[in-house]
Amino acid sequence: MSNHTASRIWTRRLLTATSIAAVATVGLAACSSGTASGGSSSGGTAKKSYTIGFVVGASSDPFFQAMKVGAQSEATKLGDKLIFQGNATTYSPATQIPVVNQVLAEKPDGLALAPTDPSALQASVTTAHNDGIAVVNVDSSVNDQSDVISFITGDNNDGGQKAADEMAKAIGYKSGGTYQVVVGLTSATATTNVERLAGFKKEIAAKYPGITIAATGYSQSNSTTANSNINNWLTEFPKLSGIFAIDGTNATGAAAALQAKNLTGKIALIGYDAYKTNVDLIAKGVFTALIAQDPAQEGKDAVDTLDKYLRAGKKATGIQKSVTLPNIVLDKSSSAADLQKYTYVQNG
Amino acid sequence: MATTDPVTATETKPDAPKPGTQSSIERPTSRLRKIVTDQQFILVIVLVVLVIVFTAINPVFFGLGAAGNILVQWAPIVLLAVGETFVIITGGIDLSVGSTLTVSSVIAAFAMQGLTTAGWSEGPTLLVGALICLGIGALVGTINSLLVNVAKLVPFVATLATLGAGAGVALVLTGGGPVQGGPPNASTLSAPIGGGLFSWPVIVVIVILIITGLFLHRSRFGRYTYAIGGNAFAATASGISVAKHLTKVYVLSGLFSGAGGFVLYLQLNGGSPSAGTGDELGAIAAVVIGGASLAGGFGKIGGTILGALILETVYSGLTIINIDPNWNQVAVAILIAAAASLQAVRGIQHRRKA
Repeated sequence: MSNHTASRIWTRRLLTATSIAAVATVGLAACSSGTASGGSSSGGTAKKSYTIGFVVGASSDPFFQAMKVGAQSEATKLGDKLIFQGNATTYSPATQIPVVNQVLAEKPDGLALAPTDPSALQASVTTAHNDGIAVVNVDSSVNDQSDVISFITGDNNDGGQKAADEMAKAIGYKSGGTYQVVVGLTSATATTNVERLAGFKKEIAAKYPGITIAATGYSQSNSTTANSNINNWLTEFPKLSGIFAIDGTNATGAAAALQAKNLTGKIALIGYDAYKTNVDLIAKGVFTALIAQDPAQEGKDAVDTLDKYLRAGKKATGIQKSVTLPNIVLDKSSSAADLQKYTYVQNG
Repeated sequence: MATTDPVTATETKPDAPKPGTQSSIERPTSRLRKIVTDQQFILVIVLVVLVIVFTAINPVFFGLGAAGNILVQWAPIVLLAVGETFVIITGGIDLSVGSTLTVSSVIAAFAMQGLTTAGWSEGPTLLVGALICLGIGALVGTINSLLVNVAKLVPFVATLATLGAGAGVALVLTGGGPVQGGPPNASTLSAPIGGGLFSWPVIVVIVILIITGLFLHRSRFGRYTYAIGGNAFAATASGISVAKHLTKVYVLSGLFSGAGGFVLYLQLNGGSPSAGTGDELGAIAAVVIGGASLAGGFGKIGGTILGALILETVYSGLTIINIDPNWNQVAVAILIAAAASLQAVRGIQHRRKA
């Protein structure tokens, strides 16, 4: 998960109105693609077709777009019908719960859910379970996993640790030296941000005591804000060694700031999430390294797990309660094939 | 010129709360009082106090680096805010400015990406990009004016619709990610020249602001704008075509948003579907802090310019003194409330004098 709710409190009402308009457009597109796959699966094959609901956070985020591609191709392959939904722009339980309710009203056989809040979405999972709908969690999870057959996720803690290792490598860390780094976050509460930062801090404390985190700041899902934060930090900390941009929005803002101030290659930039534009900037030396997740694989595994469970009459064996997919580090030494494979699919 | 101008007869000082209701005779004894309560004078004081406070906490703030950052951040917001000032003086509101900024920068980014791939050089590519930004801005402004004049929507609802549509279109076109691949050195243009205070976009924006200020405060177009906001019926009665003038005002606001989109393209080195999210409220905040009234008929470009400068100074200052940036919202809220109440109190004083 890389893009979260824009939380300027006094803008919330207007933003809600924006997302209503936006979800109308994107939601319709998602509906129509779901129907199309159902149509193709009903022809010819003898085995039963299952309907799988798939609800994510902010569906316009390339991270979830890539997840959709993985889920859709797996559903088509297995002959299942996929209903992929989510609020277009806002990563919040307030906008996600109505979407979940709407998908449940379509009586799917299974539900893959990326909950935007671990407790607020608990009731939706219980409702689905009581209606006989099989539930898996993907990317993020609800607190009580007893009604969830499997939880498939990238490891954010591990991603933060890997980012710290890459940072140390990039700034030429030597014990006894002192180094200042800053971290650009989206919000103080988004679980993915919290875990990545925790992993980053833990690894620094354990292995690189000379590195201090001089400042952290929030972009609130806005690339302009992310850019301003970095500009201000570059002024505040003239001896800055590195930047950890914790998600795609911060990566965009940080990359532009370094390029504008001609600091490319002089200050290490570790990014998160393999947006195409960011992957392209590895070759130019703007990004020292990118920590990539594999959302397409998460989507594929979620559909696959549900299908297996449903097909075996809910008595399937070999389903793991928790699946953690490894993160991939992309840098200048990565092969062209890997760079392409792990770049998030974008419809733009 | 004065003889052909239907508003001249009822025109008053532009800082009167309701043009047409205010005696133009100024008492000499109120001069001092007027300076002390003048919004722009107060804003300059606020700005100086902010700079002193931030510098006292972290001396790094008092330098070319921090000032240069503030101006870079100020450039796109002040463009939106100045366009918004015209709309607000007419008694309307334009909520679409942030979305228009976003959608124009995204579409221009796609075009510049294509031209760069096709081998165009930097100058012509950027020129085409700038024209596309202005074109998209004018288009959204035209749509807003049609919704207001023809569909008879109130400006709040009309521009709320284009705000949503613009943000949606930007997301659909980009798939949620940034659009890069335009002229590779575009972002270096928004860095201050020679490590000093001014970048090229900032210089251009300042020139635009001077021209716009003269345009609003010295031209017939400006007087019509105040007249419509002061009293639309009186404006109609005195021979102004209100619908025609409102069209021009909304298109102007769209053009400013498009220009802001281009400035932000340079700053981010690409188009981004989140670039202008929430900027409409930043722009309105700058206008209100600058002393304009949402009731219309009242407001000054100089106030708006200072209002935007104060917003960005607060933002940069809080970052540089390492305060949780979420306090930024609280600081801005206090500034808005203080500015609006100051203006309301002054309005009462004016009426009592009259």
